[in-house]
Amino acid sequence: MALTTAPDPTRRGTGSVRPPATRRGTGRIRHGEGLAGYVFLSPWLIGLMGITALPMLLSLYLSFTNYDILTPWSEVEWVGLANYERMFTADPSWWHSVRVTLRFALIAVPLKLAAALGVALLLNRAWRGVGLFRGLFYLPSLLGGSVALAIVWVNMFNRDGAFNSFLALFGIEGKPWVNDPDWALETLMVLAIWQFGAPMVIFLAGLKQVPTELYEAASVDGAGRFRQFVSVTLPMLSPVIFFNLVLETINGFQGFTAAFVLSNGTGGPIDSTLMYTLNLYIAGFTDLEMGYASAMAWVFLIAIALITAVFFSTGRFWVHYSDGEDR
Amino acid sequence: MHPATHPTSAPDGRTYRTPLLRRRLLRGLLAAVVALPLVGAAAACGGDDASDGKTKVSIFWWGGDARNELTVQALDLYTKKNPDVVFETTWQANQGYFDKLATLTAGGNPPDIFQIDDNYLTEYAARNATLDLKKYQDAGDLDTSKFPPSLLQYGEVDGKLAGLAAGENTQGLVYNKTLLDKNGLPEPTTGMSWEEHIAWAEQVSKKTGVPGTQDPSADYKAFWVWLRQQGKDLYSGSDLGFTAEDVTRWFELWKGARDAGATPTPDVIHEGNATDITKQLVVTGKSATSWVWVNQMPELKKNTADELGVIAYPGDPSAQWARASMYWSVFRGSKNADIAVDVINFLVNDPEAVKLLGTDRGLPSNLDLRRVVSDDTTDPAMKQSIEVETKLAETFGEAPQVPIKGHSKVRAELTKAAENAQYGRVTPAEAAAQFVAACKAAIAS
Repeated sequence: MALTTAPDPTRRGTGSVRPPATRRGTGRIRHGEGLAGYVFLSPWLIGLMGITALPMLLSLYLSFTNYDILTPWSEVEWVGLANYERMFTADPSWWHSVRVTLRFALIAVPLKLAAALGVALLLNRAWRGVGLFRGLFYLPSLLGGSVALAIVWVNMFNRDGAFNSFLALFGIEGKPWVNDPDWALETLMVLAIWQFGAPMVIFLAGLKQVPTELYEAASVDGAGRFRQFVSVTLPMLSPVIFFNLVLETINGFQGFTAAFVLSNGTGGPIDSTLMYTLNLYIAGFTDLEMGYASAMAWVFLIAIALITAVFFSTGRFWVHYSDGEDR
Repeated sequence: MHPATHPTSAPDGRTYRTPLLRRRLLRGLLAAVVALPLVGAAAACGGDDASDGKTKVSIFWWGGDARNELTVQALDLYTKKNPDVVFETTWQANQGYFDKLATLTAGGNPPDIFQIDDNYLTEYAARNATLDLKKYQDAGDLDTSKFPPSLLQYGEVDGKLAGLAAGENTQGLVYNKTLLDKNGLPEPTTGMSWEEHIAWAEQVSKKTGVPGTQDPSADYKAFWVWLRQQGKDLYSGSDLGFTAEDVTRWFELWKGARDAGATPTPDVIHEGNATDITKQLVVTGKSATSWVWVNQMPELKKNTADELGVIAYPGDPSAQWARASMYWSVFRGSKNADIAVDVINFLVNDPEAVKLLGTDRGLPSNLDLRRVVSDDTTDPAMKQSIEVETKLAETFGEAPQVPIKGHSKVRAELTKAAENAQYGRVTPAEAAAQFVAACKAAIAS
């Protein structure tokens, strides 16, 4: 699945089961089936339009207004670019939340991917009971961004939480991690990293795709374990790494639940967990500045789109697709 | 509701393989897909009137189980007296309440009646979300003749009566009596100065090992009382009622207390700042005092086995005032406004209803009924809070103006600045400057 995300148009059709789009106008039946397709799609399509696309366009409009939730639509005033201007020039908390989010993503995402790849390598062997371990390692990500998990986390990393009791066994005096402005965000990072199951499973699937003859050939040539990993595993796995990197980066930027629960919806202590989405939520629902919050959401969307575009444009230099020619 | 399950689209035979029937099936499906949302919309337009000709009034409040039971009982009583009116009640914990209220309002689905407090009253009133109750007051449909004038006035925003006080409370300093008795320490008393309070707390810390007092420098209501004692106020018109110098002195007062060991460590203070009423430090045993509202005593008492005492905040108690603990407001666009106002009138003035509700939302606003309720109360924690507040009422000062638009941000900024000073990241003066600048931005926008 990751393979089809390549931006190379020449390879598009080859691996796909879809008929080429160039064949068209082949009669009534095909036409009717197209309609049937849309009819059967319609529940989803209506959902997409009504629940995602329409509100999104609406929020684009709102981002140019002073909409404050309580005022009726008819009294909403057009303010032009004022919301955007304020964000960039007059709102230190916005800049602060950008920094917090970048720091979170830059640290948590690579570590999470490294953990996922590391564990996937360990589990990609024919041990007895390896299936059980795969399940166990995947378990945390099943819990997803759940509130219950965040509450457990807060209690574990409190001053008198389980983690500090554990440290005490070694005579180390812990910190009030979640209530310490220097450590609260890091605690959230650990939570995100711990949920590495989803990318791990994808890595596992990718590892299984690497042809064994490549390893055989490499070992015949005298390549050691490490060399095999660098010269065979990593290049063969690069499309999967790319896929995981893109997905996890987007996920990382959108972290909300844990930060919300940990800080009681304030982003505290002292704004140390003020993730972008949390700041946006506070602007919209606590401060009632929904127009401003909409503008924040659009800047966020564009920023994520740009980052993803950068990934895709740099991908050609390091992502290796084995089914085509090397570039 | 999946469109394919719509009965009209079922083919009338098992020969559905033929093209004709398939086309018919498709057309049926298409019709179903188009029609279903319309049906849904039509159902949604049904509106407030229940099918049996009764008027449904929606009402939304925050609180706990106990409040839910009492309020539902009082509303049932109303339905008994007015069989044409039924209620749709919704309630939840305080956390997230205002997010939900805002969302309901934005979704065009606001409750007819909602509970609100002074932290948000102006936010709603200034945006014209609340109905002006003056009209009903003048017409005699809303009886406020038994209200203390200052309590009634505390519901006015820009000359409009935006909310009717559902009860009265005032600031209360709660302390752990059991802990003090066990260690032979004196109980704090109303009228102690702030310095005396901190010295007392220092002594408690030393003797018991439990930090003497929660550092309230991030608490707007403590800051507010202290400001009033300095002849200042939280707000003055549409501006701040204090200067950066005032804030610096406030922060320095508590820096001294922290340095002397009178308070918990910053992370524990933060825990107390961030938590809801059930986990205040005085009940979790992490501090000997907590800074709360007097009517929260019974709720605190439920969460600890220790005996609690309550007094006024330190300094001159006349800085405290008869605060509307919360209000009942009617949504401006309510289709049942007249009935909604009548319900509110019932909840604050009907002897039976007020008796049922007790002091859960604070002392009853109606002074005649307040006396009756006070005499009847048997719950010891409630009795205690009534006694304390009744005594404090003798020295109450004039009520300040209701907090202005932007207040929720001001509160958040105070917490941020105070914690910055508590964790030692900045000096009190720097924190104060930062706070005042952030407030000015908050109330200007």
